[in-house]
Amino acid sequence: MLAEHLDATFAALADPTRRAILARLASGEANVTELAKPFDMSQPAISKHLKVLERAGLISRGRDAQSRPCRLEGRRLKEATEWMERYRRFWEQSFDRLDEYLVELKKKERKNARNK
Amino acid sequence: MPETSSVVARPPELLLTRVFDAPRRLVFEAWTKAEHVSRWFAPRPFTMPRCEMDFRPGGVFRFVMRAPDGWEHPFEGAFREIVAPERIVFTGSIEEGNAVVTTLTFAEHDGKTTLTMHQTFTLESSSTRGAKEGWTLTLNQLEEQLR
Repeated sequence: MLAEHLDATFAALADPTRRAILARLASGEANVTELAKPFDMSQPAISKHLKVLERAGLISRGRDAQSRPCRLEGRRLKEATEWMERYRRFWEQSFDRLDEYLVELKKKERKNARNK
Repeated sequence: MPETSSVVARPPELLLTRVFDAPRRLVFEAWTKAEHVSRWFAPRPFTMPRCEMDFRPGGVFRFVMRAPDGWEHPFEGAFREIVAPERIVFTGSIEEGNAVVTTLTFAEHDGKTTLTMHQTFTLESSSTRGAKEGWTLTLNQLEEQLR
């Protein structure tokens, strides 16, 4: 179900370190050692973040037991983008209706003011 | 830090602004009662067979939207903060469990009202405060990089 994906995706993206890891992986594969380097963090700490990203389907990891290179998986990110786009449209269309409704409210107010 | 880190620098959020040709008092009012909200919430041709709200801090709301094919979609949550007629903060769940925190601010100028809606899609909203750009843009940028 898409909803579960989104929940995991948004939770994974909520953390700045994990977003930075994704940004790094956008420029190519990297293993834990390489990923830990730019951060002031231990490899186990980075590994924990990688597990969250992997569970969310945002990255995949190679089979090689030694280096297990990480790769960015764009599909889940694309789903999240598309969902956000639909959600944004939902609100924009609601605001279109609110705009119309306010015209009605203003008219009603003027009428009430006249009748007073 | 790698150069590309700025690409995903922002947490999941949505920022929308809209200028309404109505005084702030009225725009705010449209959010405060079920009889108003049921008239504009959700795009056409959705209808709202259920719209209940207890507009006070801690009060809950329950909406049900119905699509033309009969499919019903609930939207529930609670009001967290109300400062009339300037600000409303509410939490809600969408898509079965995605928590969303919505902050609405109403600003009036020359009889028009600018409504700003800031939504974050996790409950870790403290880390997302002050962010100015939409998450959509950020995701798009990352996607572009992937091509």
